[in-house]
Amino acid sequence: MKSLLKLFSSVKLAIVLLIIITSTSLIGTLIPQQRSPSEYAAQFGQLANLLNRFQITDLYHSLWFLALLFLFALNILICTLTRFPAKFRKAFQPKLIKDKKNILVLKIKDSLGKNWGLAKTKEELKRELSSRHYRLKEEVEENKAFLLARKRTLGLFGSDFVHLGLLIILAGGIISGFGGFRKNLTLSEGDTLDIPNAEFKLRLDKFETEYYPDGNVRDWKSTLTVIENEKPILSKIIEVNHPLSYRGFVFYQSSYGWDWTNTSVGIWVKKRKDPSFLRKIDITVGEKVSLEGENIQISFIQFIPDFILNEKNEAATRSLQPRNPAAFIEGWQEEEKIFSGWIFSQFPDFSRIHSEKETDLSFELKNFKASQYSGIEAAKDPGVNIIWLGCTLLMIGLACAFYWPSREIKIILEETQGKTGVIAGGIASKNREDFQSEFDKIMTSLRRLR
Amino acid sequence: MNESILFFTTFILYIISAFFYFSFLFSKKENLARIGFKFAFSGLLIHTVALIWRTVESGHAPFTNMYESLSFFAWSSILAYVIIEFKYKIRKAGPYFMLIVIALMALASSPLMPKEATPLVPALQSYWLWLHVSVTLLGEAFFAVAFITSIMYLVADSREKKGGAAKSKLSADKLDSISYRCIAIGFPLFTLGGLVFGMIWAYKAWGRYWSWDPKETWSLITLFVFALYLHTRVVMGWKGRRSAYVAIIGFLAALFTYFGVNYILSGLHSYA
Ligand code: HEM
Repeated sequence: MKSLLKLFSSVKLAIVLLIIITSTSLIGTLIPQQRSPSEYAAQFGQLANLLNRFQITDLYHSLWFLALLFLFALNILICTLTRFPAKFRKAFQPKLIKDKKNILVLKIKDSLGKNWGLAKTKEELKRELSSRHYRLKEEVEENKAFLLARKRTLGLFGSDFVHLGLLIILAGGIISGFGGFRKNLTLSEGDTLDIPNAEFKLRLDKFETEYYPDGNVRDWKSTLTVIENEKPILSKIIEVNHPLSYRGFVFYQSSYGWDWTNTSVGIWVKKRKDPSFLRKIDITVGEKVSLEGENIQISFIQFIPDFILNEKNEAATRSLQPRNPAAFIEGWQEEEKIFSGWIFSQFPDFSRIHSEKETDLSFELKNFKASQYSGIEAAKDPGVNIIWLGCTLLMIGLACAFYWPSREIKIILEETQGKTGVIAGGIASKNREDFQSEFDKIMTSLRRLR
Repeated sequence: MNESILFFTTFILYIISAFFYFSFLFSKKENLARIGFKFAFSGLLIHTVALIWRTVESGHAPFTNMYESLSFFAWSSILAYVIIEFKYKIRKAGPYFMLIVIALMALASSPLMPKEATPLVPALQSYWLWLHVSVTLLGEAFFAVAFITSIMYLVADSREKKGGAAKSKLSADKLDSISYRCIAIGFPLFTLGGLVFGMIWAYKAWGRYWSWDPKETWSLITLFVFALYLHTRVVMGWKGRRSAYVAIIGFLAALFTYFGVNYILSGLHSYA
């Protein structure tokens, strides 16, 4: 038990763990994470099995990586705790140095003599140190005096704040990982959705895409209304970087797309032999409309936003973007199907209409309209405030350790025959150059005093 | 007058500065280094105007594509150098440091980098873009200074060991402590910008503060290397060569986070 404690309070272990965690994190950026088994098989062949076995395919969520982080956290905790009492005593119950040797070993040191008595020398020294914001502690013995001047003592505890902050961040990460929840919602305008594990619903009132003049997307904006007990509670327009927060849930604008199931299209019907003939029909998927003045009904069977033929020569869509919109239509005369086929909005000449019966009609897909849906990510992350707390402590700690370094000056004064000798030494954890020059200034000003 | 003329002027000033710094290096005339510093400083001023100009013209932060980002990195590097040089008189680092800056400026002005300001994709429209990128790059700029002083340390140390006593004022010992000083300034900045602001922004934009995206992971790796530097030094008393190696690796990791991830690895950050 004791040796375990010793192990975990050692900085050597911290170094080893840091190196291991750093290198494994590095591996995770070289080997793609969380892909499908077939992708690994294609990329790594035989090695894929090994990667899978050691969970390198999802390294950052693997048990052994978590275990490493846990050991690291334990290391920080024990290391910081075991050193804390001594540091605390040093900061709040400092001992005065009474042996000159302990000052002479310091890197920053100086000595001088004055033709004054002890009391006056001490007062002058104290005045100079106080004017530089040093706090003083002193003890006087017969013809000797011992001074301890310190400032920015908080800086000593910088590293403890840093380590505490890190521990809190790790804890927050665990809480987020296990207690967090996220789900992609797709809503069309007017839709209301129950939010899983929540007492309220969410309604999408409006969804807009804004464009720059050059056609690139500027922003997506969804107007959301929270509905609780059938009553609207609040409305907010969300966009990327501006989510809606409500009762621990946060709703992000994460994606957008079209709902192609109810697409309506405009079709122009022409006759090859009669250039003056033109009928424009508007039709929605699943509808059947009669062509005015002709004994024909047009039926709109299917819409595909990004038409391709797959390996089996079947119609399929490559994406959900309207890159190559196509409509499948049928023509009926009474109960008899007379033609059927695909028409394309971008390739009017490519229509593939198979006629059962001779027909003079041609079709052009002119426009299409589908409702856009808004992709909204609902997230509940109980760890996030803990993370911000940890980050705050971390930054306070770093600021204390590096920008507010503690400084300490130890002085021994000794009077012999009306003259006083001063021996001073300084300790600064950081920024020794600046401290050295302050130290020199203090000593010089004492030297110059008449 | 427009931004590209200002940028070009800046570039010229940096080149002239490097010229004087190198003449100082060979002739050992302190005066030349002082002139080099003045040119670097005036370059910094014009560069600042160029960045402000760009910001006003494009209406967004001057680091949304690679050209802007490189130019900004060069700017913050010069800023970091000017601060350190002003405080610690590390003139001899000037020539080498100017080389880094000139390399950044040259990369930025290469024809491969599109120069025109493009409208921002939705995810970048946030004031966190400002905080995240500027603070991170400023931190990295101090790592860059530490990188140069660490390399110079290694050279100076070998020379002093061979008996060539520390003739110049910039002894190996001083280089070692300046490297540490730069890392002590850069580490909190990098942590704040790269990690904390990055997490806050990611949370606002994507709803998750951490997703092990390669860029995030690499900034963590960079942070860990510098944590290694600090602990070996502060707690285990490392100094000199070993510390210098860690500092060099740390800056290379930062550089990879900045460039390599964009061009070699892919992830959520691939637009910036
Ligand atoms: C990534 C994780 C860590 C970070 C970012 C970190 C950060 C820091 C920082 C910034 C300092 C102050 C350094 C200075 O004053 O120059 C420090 C000091 C220190 N750290 Fe860590 N630390 C980490 C992990 C650890 C671990 C695991 C241990 C435990 C063995 C540890 C032990 C110490 C000790 C003993 C000190 C010196 C304390 C003092 O004298 O004030 N650190 N750390």
